[in-house]
Amino acid sequence: MIVQFLVAMVATVSFAVLYDAPRQELLFSGLSGAVGWVVYLYLLEGVQINKVLSCVAATFILTLIARILAVLRCCPVTVYLLVSIFPLVPGTGIYYTSYYLITRQNQLFAATGLATFETAAAIAFGIAMGFGLPQGWFGIFRRRKKFEERLERKGTDA
Amino acid sequence: MAYTKEILNLAVEIGEAMLQNGAEIYRVEDTFKHILKAYEVENCNVYVLSNGIFASANEGQEDSCSIIRHVPQSSVHLARIAALNQLSREICMHSCSLMEAWNRLDECRALPDYSAKKQILACGLGCAGFAWLCGGQVIDAAITFFIGCLLRQMILFAGVHGISNLMVNITGSFLTTAVSLFMAGAGLPVLQDKIVIGGIMALIPGITFTTSIRDLLNADYLSGFIHMVDALLGAVEIAVGVGATFAVYEAMTGGVFGL
Repeated sequence: MIVQFLVAMVATVSFAVLYDAPRQELLFSGLSGAVGWVVYLYLLEGVQINKVLSCVAATFILTLIARILAVLRCCPVTVYLLVSIFPLVPGTGIYYTSYYLITRQNQLFAATGLATFETAAAIAFGIAMGFGLPQGWFGIFRRRKKFEERLERKGTDA
Repeated sequence: MAYTKEILNLAVEIGEAMLQNGAEIYRVEDTFKHILKAYEVENCNVYVLSNGIFASANEGQEDSCSIIRHVPQSSVHLARIAALNQLSREICMHSCSLMEAWNRLDECRALPDYSAKKQILACGLGCAGFAWLCGGQVIDAAITFFIGCLLRQMILFAGVHGISNLMVNITGSFLTTAVSLFMAGAGLPVLQDKIVIGGIMALIPGITFTTSIRDLLNADYLSGFIHMVDALLGAVEIAVGVGATFAVYEAMTGGVFGL
């Protein structure tokens, strides 16, 4: 599990580089991506609930982490959210859908296509739930002292 | 009065820069309104689409003005979004004059990409990581690393020469599948499917998909659907590239891999 976490982190950070995330935020976007992946894996293989539910739960938690990080680090939530989704993206589904289509295994094709669509919808639903919580609740993560320091240094308002 | 025009222009330019670098619609509209409010232009309207901005200020008054911008899609640059967000916060805190804001905007726009070498390495590493995460062995990850590097090189090349996304997606996934089939055909103990899945991660429109969902959630349905169609097309193009390779392989060897 720890190795999974680390690899997911490295992969997410690498993709954050591709989308030019700010250098000092790279590790944090990797963190939310890795947590999302580990939660997904734990629910899927540890608790053994189905794929769609695990995906919803993982995306939900990942979105919350991204929002908390956004408040803590005074940075738009986009920076963390966009790349940390990547480990959950159904690349496997796209591949097998196309594979079954070409090999004319129509039933498998339909089933995989539907599963891919479900995963995508699950991610969408997870994000929706994550953003459903009011922004005010995330104010408690604003560390007063650090916040004021930043305010002085950058002249900013979170 | 030219002053209102100047402010409106600044707000639209900042909005345009944000939109171009991949910010969601809500953020652009919100930033625009905050900036105009900070400079005490109360009477304003803005409508943002995924590729355009329509804005007006002080309509019906002597200094009324409006701006329409076409914003062609370009690549996502998160650091610029973060910097522009910071700039708009400072404007709202009134700690930034109009002149200063223009200079800061130019700085934000000029924020560099990571160097090509770093991007290529990162892409390889990322793809290798995803190949391993989806169940590949170390040897699969190693092969995927090189495929990822190659794909990024292709994407960078396409960016310089103005080659469309469609071509990049199809040829990229074709290449990935071809290499994986070749490796498997050469008798290496590889999991062919994991290599392809890792490789196509470099092409998959995950960012577009997430942006589309965020737009839909904020009730910007039109832009949300535009992004969604974009993401779907990307996925279909990748599937076509992978499928075409299998079809060619089948025609060449008379059998389908894995069957």
